[in-house]
Amino acid sequence: MKVTLNWLKEFIDVQVSAEELVKILTSLGFEVEEYYSPPRIFNRVVIGKVLSANHIASSDHLTFCQVDAGKDVVEVICGAPNVRPGLLAPLALEGATLAGEVIVKQRAIQGKTSYGMLCSESELDLTWRGDHLMELPGNAPIGMDLHEFLGDSDTLFDIFITPNRPDCLGVIGIAREIAAATGTKLIKPVSGIDFIPADLTKHISVHIQDSDKCYRYTGRLIQNLLILPSPFWMAERLFIVGVRSINNVVDVTNYVMMETGQPLHAFDYDLLEDQQILVRSAYPQEKFTTLDEKTHSLDEQSLLICDGKKAIALAGIMGGLNSEVSANTRNIFLESAYFEPKSTRRTAKRLDIATESSKRFEKGMDLENTVFALNRATELITRLGQGQVVGRIIDEFPHPVEPTTIRLSVENANNLLGTQLTREEMSNILQRLELPTSIASDGYLIVTAPSFRSDLKKPVDLVEEIARHHGYDNIPFSTAPKIDQNQTANPRITFRDQLRQFFSGAGFRETVTFNLVGPKLAEPFLEKGTELIQVINPLSPDLSVFRPNLIASLLGVVAYNRNRQNPNMAFFEIGNDAWKISDSQQIAEKIRVAGVCAGKKNDNEWSQKSPSFDFYDIKGVVFNLLKTFHIDAAIQDDAVESFWTDERAALRLNNHFIGSFGKLSRDILALYKIKVHDVYAFYLEFEALYALKPRKLRFKSIPKFPSVPFDLAIMVDASVPYQNVEKAIRNAGGPFLAEVQLFDFYKGEQIAAGTKSLAFSLTFSSKERTLAVEEVDSAVYTILEHLKKLFNAQLRPK
Amino acid sequence: MMGQILEEIQRVKSEFSSRAKTISNLRDLENLRIEFTSKKGKIQTLFSVIAKAAPVDRPRIGAELNALKDFVQATLDEKSLVFQTQRVQNSVFDPTLPGRTPRLGGLHPLLQVMDEIKNIFMGMGFRVEEGPKIETQYHNFEALNIPKDHPSRDMHDTFYLENEYVLRTHTSPIQIRTMERQKPPIRMIAPGKCYRKDTPDATHSPIFHQVEGLYVDKGVSFADLKGTLQVFAHKLLGSEVNVRFRPSFFPFTEPSAEYDFSCIFCKGKGCSFCKGTGWLEISGAGMVNPAVFEFVGIDPEVYTGYAFGMGVERIALLLFEINDIRIFYENDLRFLSQF
Repeated sequence: MKVTLNWLKEFIDVQVSAEELVKILTSLGFEVEEYYSPPRIFNRVVIGKVLSANHIASSDHLTFCQVDAGKDVVEVICGAPNVRPGLLAPLALEGATLAGEVIVKQRAIQGKTSYGMLCSESELDLTWRGDHLMELPGNAPIGMDLHEFLGDSDTLFDIFITPNRPDCLGVIGIAREIAAATGTKLIKPVSGIDFIPADLTKHISVHIQDSDKCYRYTGRLIQNLLILPSPFWMAERLFIVGVRSINNVVDVTNYVMMETGQPLHAFDYDLLEDQQILVRSAYPQEKFTTLDEKTHSLDEQSLLICDGKKAIALAGIMGGLNSEVSANTRNIFLESAYFEPKSTRRTAKRLDIATESSKRFEKGMDLENTVFALNRATELITRLGQGQVVGRIIDEFPHPVEPTTIRLSVENANNLLGTQLTREEMSNILQRLELPTSIASDGYLIVTAPSFRSDLKKPVDLVEEIARHHGYDNIPFSTAPKIDQNQTANPRITFRDQLRQFFSGAGFRETVTFNLVGPKLAEPFLEKGTELIQVINPLSPDLSVFRPNLIASLLGVVAYNRNRQNPNMAFFEIGNDAWKISDSQQIAEKIRVAGVCAGKKNDNEWSQKSPSFDFYDIKGVVFNLLKTFHIDAAIQDDAVESFWTDERAALRLNNHFIGSFGKLSRDILALYKIKVHDVYAFYLEFEALYALKPRKLRFKSIPKFPSVPFDLAIMVDASVPYQNVEKAIRNAGGPFLAEVQLFDFYKGEQIAAGTKSLAFSLTFSSKERTLAVEEVDSAVYTILEHLKKLFNAQLRPK
Repeated sequence: MMGQILEEIQRVKSEFSSRAKTISNLRDLENLRIEFTSKKGKIQTLFSVIAKAAPVDRPRIGAELNALKDFVQATLDEKSLVFQTQRVQNSVFDPTLPGRTPRLGGLHPLLQVMDEIKNIFMGMGFRVEEGPKIETQYHNFEALNIPKDHPSRDMHDTFYLENEYVLRTHTSPIQIRTMERQKPPIRMIAPGKCYRKDTPDATHSPIFHQVEGLYVDKGVSFADLKGTLQVFAHKLLGSEVNVRFRPSFFPFTEPSAEYDFSCIFCKGKGCSFCKGTGWLEISGAGMVNPAVFEFVGIDPEVYTGYAFGMGVERIALLLFEINDIRIFYENDLRFLSQF
């Protein structure tokens, strides 16, 4: 909401500077987004009087003028249509700057020389009006510097009005708050209207068909108007608050809306058919062309203002092209109505129109303000455009609203705020805000919400008013926060943070990525029987679906860093993935723990070159994680996702899918234009990890007796999976086999082709005694026999 | 008096110089350092004499003492380097070669800030709660007293999904979910990602992080809210930070407030960070609107509560003096490795 200092001052009886006003408004909850005095960036402009203006014969529109500039008479050439002898207008002298840049120079046109320039308001940046010379009043002192004549420029405030305060979408509403805060009275203009006695119903009748959408409709008829440009003061004020000046009638409707908050509309009376106004809902698919020459297709939700034959306005949103006030208008019908907020909003949203009018109606206007605003506008229009008001007012009011009465407990209000205000202090604040307040026998404050404060419905609404005008700064800081001794940390959050610490310690950098990606990158990560979740109104195609797998986002990070000369990396993130289940169309959202690594494991060091990441690195990290959180019984399985290469594996425990890891496929990497092929990743289900993490750990006693190590090297067929061999050793190892560790793996010339050598370091121990060598030998023998039987394994000769 | 002190300074200097010449190993050098430069060392003792000197003489004595201190420090450093070099020369072992460093991981700066916020509130007895990012309109709007067809919905540029789902525009729906599940007293915070249809620029991102706080109990007041956020500000930024509350509007709180911290850069005097106001806007807060309690079945006649929010990015930008929010989501290693 844009207001100016001088405009506000018309309604408040207190001297305040712009700075003080900003402080007051801020403390009341009206954030001043910016405030400034629009600079008048011209100089060497004086008041000139046109002495003569002679049409230059060789030109179609130029005149040669002699202008009295006070000290001298200046000859200028002018192309404006309103130049005429006797006119007082701003004269830019030779060397003048306009808008801070244009330098007025002597110039020759059509054989004549111009030594200056007569200016329009837009050339001086005073308004947008540029087609006519600015017309100064007849008593303006000739030769006076225009700065001196105009005085200081007004100050603009751009104030953010929260949606609960539609009453402050007008200068008077804001003035009311300032008056309340400064303990002064709001000055409300009184409009005196002279009218020709007449039976207005003979000239126009109003019928509201749909009173659920239009609670009240008031109007006036003004005849024999002169449509003129608005006076400078009005055009300038509208210019400062960002409204384009059109003519005196349209300007007044805008001016009064800015002043009172109430949107108004003027129809050209002579374009209304059958001398009637009908307020009705639109028919399905009814077409209507608004002022901006756009044709809309309406539905029954939309409300129309119609005459006897046709629709003439989209109620509360925009007028129609067919009844617009134009230069030829002589008679107008002026409308000031109350349109229901929700239906106005629905129509405005659906048609994607947001006007100053619709923005006000959709927040809820003041039912009792319609007549006030109508009269204010009528007075201004007749003052600026002459004309006669015909008869009294039309006031169709089928839907009055009972005022809300609120009972407020002083004690509850103080308890909620943490204050100790007296009943009188509270009552005073409310009265200052023009909220009629009385005290009930039980001590409660009884407040009747006035029509301009339809936001006040409940006691807490009044508490807020009291707090605002008492001052938030005057509410104490409670210094003794109550401590809840039963509070415990959320174990899921603790676990999540432990996971983050684990990966950070394991050399992974945490990322923060968007859960939204493009469909091309997301699709390959969809599991069977699932679909992408689409954003209906995406910001861009590459943020249009929810990612089904965090790896999709992490690969973006890999590509980003590779493109910036950082080929070596390890990243992780804990985040949400989501998809739709095709059969049920249900949405599934899951927290995933994922990581990705590429390039070298470390920087090359002076003592050794760093190897690149490979499958066993990613596997090692995942298994270290499982070990750290004691989920070590997980079973390795084959991974089914198509985004892995053959180097892949999945993890499962007790029917829980824990996650999978491996090397990403070339096709996937190509989507991200990642040119290397050794990118490894994992993703784990947070819920599975959390469920499988033991809640309680139990101590296992540490062996008191020395253990016996035994190294065993065997050769098996190269096709036998390692996991099977290890399992077989554990199965056959007997009660004393404590640890099995693979310490060497060999394939090559020294052994038969098609075989591999696996060397294990076995550890045997007993809780009761030191084992005898024979016991260990016997266990190893059993293991070996078992391996021979299962895999045809051979002991590898030393 | 001054002459005496200056003489004494000279004496300490020459004593140090002659002693330093005789030092031949690191251990003796360390002893010499302790004798002269430790808190109870000879130089510090001389400093304590300044107070006894006439005020006009103090600057001169101070300057002399500082010169002595610098001289001693430089001599010690130089000697130490010489010994280390000798050590390398005398053997094949070079302890100054870089250590072997396994790849360094680290937590994202934004989430480090979020962790810090979490920890402060956990210390005040708040429990961390979580919720889905894909929310029902009921939890994201209606139950927070933001009805359909109401202009307050315009305060959120929402990403809509199919079947009336939205990407949560704030972490406030977690309040609702927690209150639906649990009876008061409730003291919780909800940190997490939020989504709004904002075109990315230096201060906006379609995805951002919020921490939402809620306290519901008997007798909770606006003064408690002010006190809690003041404690938070002091723990996060130091006890000289002031907190200011301004009236505002949020459908789910009443009275509602915006709260600001006094500018940490200019200490409230006004600078370019705070646009000359002396205040940094942080976020919104207020007393839980009774309408919200009615949605979740908490009796507003019995319980009151406060709620607050804060933007993690906003705080991280201030703490690290970053001027473009987008750098958080680029995940550039050169950025991440600074934290």
